[in-house]
Amino acid sequence: MAEVNETLTRKVADLARLYLTDEEVTLYTTQMKTTLGYVDLLSKVDVGNVEPMYHPLEIETPMREDVVRPSPVDENGKPKVLKHAPETLYDGFKVPPIIG
Amino acid sequence: MNFHKISEIHDAFDAKKLSSTELTKDYLNRIKASKHNAYLTVLEDRALKQAKQADELIAKAGKAPRDTHPLVGIPLGIKDLLTMDGVRTTSASKMLENYIPPYTATAVDRLEKAGAISLGKLNMDEFAMGGSNENSAFGPVMHPTHDGYVPGGSSGGSATAVGADLCVAALGSDTGGSIRLPASYCGIVGLKPTYGRISRYGLIAFSSSLDQIGPMTKSVEDSALLLQVMAGHDPLDSTTSPKPTESFYAESKKEPDWKNLRIGVPKEYWVQGISPEIEKSVREGLKWFESKGAKLVDISLPHTPYCVSVYYIVAVSEASSNLARIDGVRFGVRHPDSKQVEDIADFYKKIRSNFGPEVKRRIILGTFALSSGYYDAYFRKACQVRRLMKQDFDAAFQKCDVIASPVSPSTAFKIGEKAADPLKMYLNDILTIPANLCGLPGLSVPCGSDAKNLPIGMQLVGPQFQDSRILSLANAFEKGRK
Repeated sequence: MAEVNETLTRKVADLARLYLTDEEVTLYTTQMKTTLGYVDLLSKVDVGNVEPMYHPLEIETPMREDVVRPSPVDENGKPKVLKHAPETLYDGFKVPPIIG
Repeated sequence: MNFHKISEIHDAFDAKKLSSTELTKDYLNRIKASKHNAYLTVLEDRALKQAKQADELIAKAGKAPRDTHPLVGIPLGIKDLLTMDGVRTTSASKMLENYIPPYTATAVDRLEKAGAISLGKLNMDEFAMGGSNENSAFGPVMHPTHDGYVPGGSSGGSATAVGADLCVAALGSDTGGSIRLPASYCGIVGLKPTYGRISRYGLIAFSSSLDQIGPMTKSVEDSALLLQVMAGHDPLDSTTSPKPTESFYAESKKEPDWKNLRIGVPKEYWVQGISPEIEKSVREGLKWFESKGAKLVDISLPHTPYCVSVYYIVAVSEASSNLARIDGVRFGVRHPDSKQVEDIADFYKKIRSNFGPEVKRRIILGTFALSSGYYDAYFRKACQVRRLMKQDFDAAFQKCDVIASPVSPSTAFKIGEKAADPLKMYLNDILTIPANLCGLPGLSVPCGSDAKNLPIGMQLVGPQFQDSRILSLANAFEKGRK
């Protein structure tokens, strides 16, 4: 079982793009320890060379023709997907400057 | 107006005793007067417009046109993680509290094209993560009949809306039991169809290899009818099955072939922590099947003790990946401070602080399980045990046709009772999780009640794509036990 401590919780939260308060770090560390302690049951199963099952159905990726379809537009002819976006500029999503 | 079945409402339309507009207005009034917190958004004008169109269709045909519009004039509630074009869809999260999607989920679209009316969007656990509906950013949902008790989750708003007659039927989604558990707590019918039977297009994803949309209804035949309308391949969801669909409604009404029916009773499902009242009630139900001529068969699903572990690794891993898209760039809510940011990570982190505590907990665990150095020990290992569980079911279905068990080890509990202990809450799903991991159809049908008069549900699980088999058995049980 992995060693779970507050450093690990902070590292994982950073990977997941989450800010945590110190109280949250303490709480989630304790709860992750309990949950992973329980999940450790899995180490008792002899899985041998069993192929992992990532999906419940044996499905194949369906292929289709690469045909261009128009995006839905609103009553003003603007792309519908922009209508309720948090911030837009021209025909795009606006984000703050992130390159210095 | 308390109808038990959609067919009874259609009969009332035919006899001109009732119009869809009257029925819809009655439900809108009931919703307004209700204190259950089941609805997050009520679509009054839209619903009345749909009801008017339904009444026009009925007037034109002289009766409810069941063949072309099997749900004509029927008011439904929709779990708030299914998108509807132009209708606020929140997934019960602050992250999406103002999200108005530009497209409609295939499942909802098919219901509305069949004549159904959407009364509104139903409360749930945030991003469907929870078993009690206490994790909604918009407050908990009350049990339909027992004040202060949870309705179960995550489709708690759907279960209460059906149980308290705030709609004729509702849509839910089931990732580890989120339809069947609340259905059993609230004394209604809940069906999780075979994986791939109903399109997930427009379902805000929690765990893509486990999620399935399904009906929550007052009767088994209504579940079959809603399934029939929604089922089938969808080019917009490549995981829908290309297999042809069946007449689930007609099939559900067929008498089971009792003499040749073998009902499997897994020995692992009756151990540790099952309430004696639930065990007694479900065993009495099994005796009823026996009295009809079915054979009860002892079976074993030896990897059952590992299912919660497998589930929590698979579900949280897929969730951490799916929820990466909830970043406030293209939709959703931006944090007021997100204009002043140091870098892109700071931008995302500020926005994502709007997730609730259970969602953050699962994103962290999932990110951990997928992270470098831990992937093989957790995610890969869990998926290997998942295959062993599927092999357990394949072997069991050589000996039986259907598997019967309780839905949950306990009946509905009081709000707050399990909230402080996530693991305890997770263990409540032990009997429903296997059907999701293995893609099997499962349903909950009311089977009794405990000393507090809280409902008990029986679960029936079938092999993949044998949804009709469990529906016809449940239908016979529902009728025969009255």
